[in-house]
Amino acid sequence: MTEAPHTVKSYEEELKNLNANIIKMGSACEEALGKAIQAITTRNSDFAEAVINDDEKIDKYEALIEQQVVNLIALRQPMAIDLRETVTALKMSSDLERIGDLSKNISKRTLLLNENLPKNLVDALNRVSASVQKQLKSTLDAYLERSAPMAVNVWEGDEQIDDLTNLCMQEVIKYLKENEKNLDDGTHLLFVTKNVERIGDHTTNVAEQIYYLVKGEYLEGDRPKGTEPIVSGEK
Amino acid sequence: MNKNKEQLLNKRYKAEKRFRLYGQSAIFMALLFLTVFIFKIFSTGYSAFQKTWLIVPVTFDAELMMLEQNPSKEDIQDADYYDIALKSMADLDPNANEDQENELKRMVSYFFEKEIKNELLNDPSLIGKTKEVYLTASDDLDQVFKGNYPRDLPEDQRRVSDYQLKIFDQLVANGKVESKFNISFFTNADSREAELAGIASSFMGSIFSILVCLMIAFPVAVLAAIYLEEFAPKNRFTDFIEVNINNLAAVPSIVFGLLGLGVLLAIFQLPRSTPLVGGITLSLMTLPTIIIAARASLKAVPPSIREAALAMGASRMQTTMHHTVPLSMPGTLSGTIIGLAQALGETAPLILIGMVAFVNTIPGSPMDPAASLPVQIYIWAESAERGFVEKVSACIMVLLGFLITMNLFAQIIRHKFEKKWS
Amino acid sequence: MIKIKAKDVDVFYGKKQALFNISLDIEENQVTALIGPSGCGKSTFLRCLNRMNDVIDICSVKGKILINDFNINDKSCDVVRLREKIGMVFQKPNPFPKTLYENVSYGPTIHGMAQSKQEMDEIVETSLKKAALWKEVKDRLHEPGTGLSGGQQQRLCIARAISVRPEVILMDEPCSALDPIATAQIEELIDELKKEHTIIIVTHSMAQAARVSQHTGFFHLGQLIEHGSTDKIFKNPDNTKTQDYITGRFG
Repeated sequence: MTEAPHTVKSYEEELKNLNANIIKMGSACEEALGKAIQAITTRNSDFAEAVINDDEKIDKYEALIEQQVVNLIALRQPMAIDLRETVTALKMSSDLERIGDLSKNISKRTLLLNENLPKNLVDALNRVSASVQKQLKSTLDAYLERSAPMAVNVWEGDEQIDDLTNLCMQEVIKYLKENEKNLDDGTHLLFVTKNVERIGDHTTNVAEQIYYLVKGEYLEGDRPKGTEPIVSGEK
Repeated sequence: MNKNKEQLLNKRYKAEKRFRLYGQSAIFMALLFLTVFIFKIFSTGYSAFQKTWLIVPVTFDAELMMLEQNPSKEDIQDADYYDIALKSMADLDPNANEDQENELKRMVSYFFEKEIKNELLNDPSLIGKTKEVYLTASDDLDQVFKGNYPRDLPEDQRRVSDYQLKIFDQLVANGKVESKFNISFFTNADSREAELAGIASSFMGSIFSILVCLMIAFPVAVLAAIYLEEFAPKNRFTDFIEVNINNLAAVPSIVFGLLGLGVLLAIFQLPRSTPLVGGITLSLMTLPTIIIAARASLKAVPPSIREAALAMGASRMQTTMHHTVPLSMPGTLSGTIIGLAQALGETAPLILIGMVAFVNTIPGSPMDPAASLPVQIYIWAESAERGFVEKVSACIMVLLGFLITMNLFAQIIRHKFEKKWS
Repeated sequence: MIKIKAKDVDVFYGKKQALFNISLDIEENQVTALIGPSGCGKSTFLRCLNRMNDVIDICSVKGKILINDFNINDKSCDVVRLREKIGMVFQKPNPFPKTLYENVSYGPTIHGMAQSKQEMDEIVETSLKKAALWKEVKDRLHEPGTGLSGGQQQRLCIARAISVRPEVILMDEPCSALDPIATAQIEELIDELKKEHTIIIVTHSMAQAARVSQHTGFFHLGQLIEHGSTDKIFKNPDNTKTQDYITGRFG
């Protein structure tokens, strides 16, 4: 935001409020993701249930933000930075809501797992999750700071997540191959891994939005991609 | 605090009421003066529109008229009417002595001879016959008949003798005195005799003066106004001119009269006492009034119209002539008429250039000597005869009528055109 | 294609400088909007383009304004011919207090564009049609133009301006006195007109500039702060002053 305040104070207030809600929603998502990951790695069903219950809160944030954005567009006709601020808020909220949903999905699956998981697999899952968590945190920081370079960092970090996801997938496949009994848990774990990766993608989306918000232009070039996913049997 | 406020409010309402009262009383005073003035003028003046006639039997005796048998038109024209006229009057009292016959003759205007002659010219077959002819009563008897003359004065203090009154009363008793609408007031020129005096000369004089004034002042003033308003650069020199035009409007009219006297009569040797000179003098006086009115109405034309025309590629001249001037015309014209109305009422400068001279002919052109209405009022007001008193008021009425008509005309022009173009 | 090229234009009112070093290119057959706070010089600049500033005695213009590569500030430029090529529509509808027909035919008359009554009728009809006014007024061409509604009056003024087939039309806040419906009609008209004319519009309404123009120039305190595609200016201006102005943050 530019330093000078709006001539119309209530307009200024509304924009600030919208901003605050995005940040609150962002931290709620951060918390949900953190808890979901902790739930699956430490097999804590309390955490998992908390995530499932808290998702409603995130959905409410999305609805609230959407309403605020529509109001701003209808009543204030925002221009330039204000326009980007509003539009970005709308898109960010839907990405964040997906992050919330995916965390919820992870938690649901966590409750269905019954066996203790092999350490290798948990480690791999931890690695990719930690990376995604870090990404999400940096993204929210970039939003707070209105920093384009930070957003670009996140954007470039997506490559690493893709790689880590692949490694994690390999571990899950290995786990599946070990025993037929692992089929249920393994399938869930496949989805969990995929969900974590999707969260990373949404985080990158948010980072792109932040870049647009700050710079007024879209990030040029293809999104960095990790190595192609490895099909089982290969290698 | 609250009480204070209420007191203040009351005070304010009272002040408003008081102020309204002042205004109303001021208007009431003005209306009162106007009513008194108009009442005075009308009550003294209305009788001037009536004229008293004596109906006298006249015998058209060919012998007394020195007419031969079967006279031609020219013969009747050249005949001598004095004797039959005199005889007709003397016959009113068969027992009159010579002095009394003279007094009888003075009961009618000196114009009676001509009135008898006109009667015969209209109908030549009257020769040798007797007919009752309407003769203009003398101004004094006219006033007596209208009741304006104090009959109870001692005889030596009034101009009508007891004998004249006696005969007059007889005539009245016989129904031989009649009052009719006074046409001659409008058709006659000025005269020393009140019963014959009319405003034709001064009315025409006024019209000619105003026409001359209009023809000179209007184009000059309008051109000056257009130049100053639309073309002249705004600098110290044009400011100076503007100030002086305003000053000129404030110069007393008598100064313009002196200018007319000194320049038009002395240097240019223009004919004295004529509407031409009067009109030129008045035009000098009217010029600033029209310039100011024309400039004001040019200024009132919204600049957006000028911009519109200029942006269409009209030249400055086209913009002015196609748009600004036509739009300013209603204002200019009503200003002009008001200026002319002022000029119409002007007396002092006309007196100075000699339009105060006694003129007993009706002018046919601006080059003929003439009076003007306000000057006529002045001349008559100065006259001693009682018969002129009502004429002064009547003349004022005519002048006021003239002015009101002009102002009305100005209003109509303004309304008609402004409605259409705004 | 560049239609008008302003180069280092300075304008002075007496000793006070109103415009500083304005250089701006205006594209042919597009709408260029000039925005900025009151007194920023955008109208002054607009009036330089058809030399309406000549009317003001104390106003002097320096620099070059090239229209079709011809400098209109040159001594050899004839103002009357220039204004035939560059029409203007003003802030307040200012039809002549004459009939509709006379209003539209005035320009063609003084420029001798019609040889016969028939030709003139045609010019009047096409101009009114282009101004989207024909249907509303065709039965009362000989009634005074001042009897129309504000929006109709403004369209009449546009018809009057295009009657001489100008290459450029300058509009000085043409909708500031109109209601939203009339404004929308004028905006639609502007969109139509840009097919045949180059249009430069000064406006106070940012939203209007955004709606009608392809290029926008932002003036502030007599300077052209920023100019570029309307898209860019309204989504992501380069200059913070521009941003502050269009987002309503002007101190």
